[in-house]
Amino acid sequence: MPHSTSSPRLGDLERVVMERLWDAGSTDGATVREVHEALERDRDIAYTTVMTVLDRLAKKELVTREREGRAWRYFPADSREALTARTMRRTLDDMAVTDRRSALLHFLDGASTDEIADLKAALAEVEARAGSADAGRPRRRGGRHR
Amino acid sequence: MPAPRTPVARGGVEAGTADGLRRTCHDGLVVPLVLAGLAVILVWVAPGVMAGRAALRRVPRAALVAWQAVSLGGLLCALVVAPAALPTALRGDDVRDHPWLTGLALCITAVVLARVLVSGHMVGTRIRAIRADHRELVDIIGDREREGLVVLEHPTPTAYCIPGRGHRVVLTRGVLDALPEDQLSAVVAHERAHLRARHDLLLEFFTVLHESVPGRLRSASALAEVRLLVEALADRAAVRRSGEVATARALVAIAEGRVPDGGTIAGASAPLRMRLLVAGDRPGLALAAYGVALTALVVPVALLVLAWA
Repeated sequence: MPHSTSSPRLGDLERVVMERLWDAGSTDGATVREVHEALERDRDIAYTTVMTVLDRLAKKELVTREREGRAWRYFPADSREALTARTMRRTLDDMAVTDRRSALLHFLDGASTDEIADLKAALAEVEARAGSADAGRPRRRGGRHR
Repeated sequence: MPAPRTPVARGGVEAGTADGLRRTCHDGLVVPLVLAGLAVILVWVAPGVMAGRAALRRVPRAALVAWQAVSLGGLLCALVVAPAALPTALRGDDVRDHPWLTGLALCITAVVLARVLVSGHMVGTRIRAIRADHRELVDIIGDREREGLVVLEHPTPTAYCIPGRGHRVVLTRGVLDALPEDQLSAVVAHERAHLRARHDLLLEFFTVLHESVPGRLRSASALAEVRLLVEALADRAAVRRSGEVATARALVAIAEGRVPDGGTIAGASAPLRMRLLVAGDRPGLALAAYGVALTALVVPVALLVLAWA
């Protein structure tokens, strides 16, 4: 399986390289040499390693690249915020339901408006049952942000 | 050819009963028919009955054991029904005298086994790929906190775990902002319970079984019920950590934060889970569930032994 080859170290590097590209910005981008020079300042890293990492990121479509002479110039495909939003959307809604539910275990896998009303009724029951036992605790109600 | 019997081994009466039983089994199709019937019961009838017994959710651990045993027992029946029919088909002849019959029996077993193995491979590969891809993404966009905790800068309050090798518990900025400390601890305890007890393997097993049953015969009730039981079990860890009230409030807070877009799949499990938080244990029922589990596993094996005895 291709995934078993990705050591945690490579994963860390992917993050560092992506951060470097995000710093460089989506219009300027960076070449392998530029990324390598920036990273070399605080770690011992080979030029070819940076090249491999950028290649992997391109395969995952996290970066795009354009020819610049004999080298490639890499650009982040999305801003960090956009990538986060896309990832969240995918985990919450896009994936096939069975796959998502088996692959990732969510604390709560969605609730309809009716269910939320039912949930609140059930919460009232739970709170009533806990009753005096819970009276001493601070009663900050969570999640009511508008 | 009768096996030489040592005189001290068993009394005449017992041996006589065993012989009688053996003869009945050889004459008729009793054992294979019982096995086939049991397979139908365990695969199609039992899941419906068990999913309908809401009280079982109050003993989630025992219920999960029963679900696994019933599913395994059903699979076992399906695997051994053809080999169990073989002695009847051979009418006392040796296996080597009827290579075609023997081959057919083994073939039927092989087809059932292949279905499960292929489904297992496909499901396993698919969800492991999803997890690996997702973990890599989360490691790039998220902030790694203490031990396996990752925070995503996103306003939707949600929490989940990525099980398997290099597992993670993922929280969003939204959930950190919306939930007070005790509720947050409940959520994290819930996710860590999933990881610690390897609930992912349990869900994978039932997904595999679900997909290995031919499409039209498939029932979603087993998988849905097992999902609910797994959540109920993890909720207990949350309650142990922060109490019923904090866990219940966390459920509401996260449910409210996920504004449904119409297409949201509603499992209707959240209100159920919340009521289970305060539902008491039922030790007697747990015992019954373990009994069902034992029976579902022992009977198919006993029947196969009987057919070949």
